[in-house]
Amino acid sequence: MNIRDRACLYLSVAPLIAYILVFTFVPVLCGVWLGFAGKFSGAFPSWENYRYIVSHFQFRSALLNTLIITGVGLFLELVAGFFLAFLLTKKFKLKGFVRALVLLPLGIPTIVSAATMRSVFDTQGYLNEFLYRAQLIRVAVDWGDGGMKTLFAVVVSDMWKVTPLVMLILLAGLESIPGELYEAARVDGASALGTLRHITIPLLKPFIVMALVVRGIDAFRLFELPLALAGRGSPVLSTYAYFEYMDYNNPNTAAAAASILFAIILLCVVLVVKTTTRKVLGGK
Amino acid sequence: MTIQRLFLLASMVFLVFPAGCAKKADNAKTLSVVMGLAEEEWKVMRENIFPEFEKQYQCRVRHFQVEAGDFSKKLEAMVRAGNVTVDVFSQDNMRLAVLVNKDLVEDLSAYESVVPAEVLPAMREVGRFNGKLFFMPYRPNVQIAYYNEKRLEEAGLEPPQTWDELLHVARVLKEKKGMGKVGFQAWGDGPTTAQLYEFIVSAGGDPLLLNDTGCGKAFAFLKTLYPYLSPDSKKAKWDTTNTYLANESFYLAQNWPFGVRIVMRDYGKKEIKTYRGWRGPVREAHVIGGEVFGIPKGAQDKTLALAFIRYFQSKEVQEKLAARLGWPSIRDDAYGNMADWLKPHYRSVKEALEHGVYRPNVPYWDEFDKLLNEAFLRIVVQQGDVGEILNAYHEEMEGIKREYSR
Repeated sequence: MNIRDRACLYLSVAPLIAYILVFTFVPVLCGVWLGFAGKFSGAFPSWENYRYIVSHFQFRSALLNTLIITGVGLFLELVAGFFLAFLLTKKFKLKGFVRALVLLPLGIPTIVSAATMRSVFDTQGYLNEFLYRAQLIRVAVDWGDGGMKTLFAVVVSDMWKVTPLVMLILLAGLESIPGELYEAARVDGASALGTLRHITIPLLKPFIVMALVVRGIDAFRLFELPLALAGRGSPVLSTYAYFEYMDYNNPNTAAAAASILFAIILLCVVLVVKTTTRKVLGGK
Repeated sequence: MTIQRLFLLASMVFLVFPAGCAKKADNAKTLSVVMGLAEEEWKVMRENIFPEFEKQYQCRVRHFQVEAGDFSKKLEAMVRAGNVTVDVFSQDNMRLAVLVNKDLVEDLSAYESVVPAEVLPAMREVGRFNGKLFFMPYRPNVQIAYYNEKRLEEAGLEPPQTWDELLHVARVLKEKKGMGKVGFQAWGDGPTTAQLYEFIVSAGGDPLLLNDTGCGKAFAFLKTLYPYLSPDSKKAKWDTTNTYLANESFYLAQNWPFGVRIVMRDYGKKEIKTYRGWRGPVREAHVIGGEVFGIPKGAQDKTLALAFIRYFQSKEVQEKLAARLGWPSIRDDAYGNMADWLKPHYRSVKEALEHGVYRPNVPYWDEFDKLLNEAFLRIVVQQGDVGEILNAYHEEMEGIKREYSR
């Protein structure tokens, strides 16, 4: 490749690189900078915003809620996704229909699913109506009154929306495992649980890591569902930053909260990738 | 590499071509207006309000929807970039200080005579800062109380006139229905602040102090009332309150008068009535809200913008807005064309306006808003200690005031 060709090549990708720099890296850097700028003094660098939010009860609650929703949500999505994927590796009637049905929530915009879930978890919503008709409750349950009930509503709503994605990733993994391995295990008299433990899960690990990373990033950034279902009573980091910025006109603390969220996501992704890839590749 | 070069050339042509082709669509004067309205309100603007202005002034009105909370940030970006594409904007009267503090709006003091003499005197003062007039009124607002007459009668209750009666109604409804049926806009931010402000002033307090006797009384009362409120209060704000009244999650709640048309006409809930609300232990107070017009610094056609403001303040337009949208008027002479079914509700509005209180336009309103909301969350929702929490927020508020006075 001569210099002219090389220059032409660089010129072709330059707009894309410029776009990413201007519309991704610069705003992120500006956000981080804003978080370190004093609200009144404008002094830089300053820990003022970080000191404020760390001591703020709403921020601490938002951080805890984010961690709970992410941890519990990811675990349940992985379990449900694995179960569905495992089911879809089997042959049965109407398999195509079931697969389409399972994938359906993935195509629904999050804000629409948030509105739908709100009508499910409302005090006069479908879930309470169902529980009442089933004579399980006499007075409507207030799913939005904060605490674990509200977090449960958010986790279930998020699960409904994104488990199909986890299922797709795990299904790809399950279908990539050679059938001969299962055949050999069966010949050696391995139990179903043993096969799952010693063949399926180890070979599925790269796919589990991918699902954890992809979904983990999304779970930390969860915004519409907690906003619609939990409001201010049970904030998460993204809604905390939103309320600070939009309602209280405080871009500095909003930027500090968003930077913390960014750092947590980065840290978790690095940790998950490092520990799991080491385990997956370590023996080879 | 020929294909790559061709691709590059095509990309450049694609990027440059539209810019070269752009040209001005027509030579008529254009007025760019920003407002934050519901679709039904825009429909009335497009069909009944803007065309007459366009005819009178031989111009075209380009209108844009921007929510009140977003506008200050957008305007700041425009003014700082020296590219102001808005000629006139409407804004909530509680979001004005930030625009003045950041020097984003024109001083309209020289045009004060534009405001018609019939405009209620109190409405003029909303737009004045440090003796200068920056904004002109076009829409007042006041909180009134909505109640489900049928359901209250079934429970043997009357609409409450005092705090004690309010607590009684809330208690009885919860006992009879198993769930609270009195609503409070506890979603947070502006809606909660407006309600808290009213309770504090009714108890004789100064909300900006946060810890005087009136503030203490108001928070203590709300702390007692809260367990008897509808659980949907947590999701209630000015728009969702209409839904909760319509689906009978609330039998009694305060809201702005725009809800009258939505609840009674759109949802067909004829049994829902309005009245001016309840009085506190010291006085009766109803928060006045509303919207004003402003002209951004660097707007291109100030003369046309002023004509637009004057047009909105005219009796003809105010009558149309009252009759078609049910908006209260800034003029006392603009209720002539109101439909019969709306008249009782506007009696409630007028009575509430008689006890109207304005919230001060202080530069630290956003911070105050936040502290008041936090105090509400900790004292009323989480049932915390009134005195201790209010004293802590008072100290914080005083610190913020000192920062602003530097």
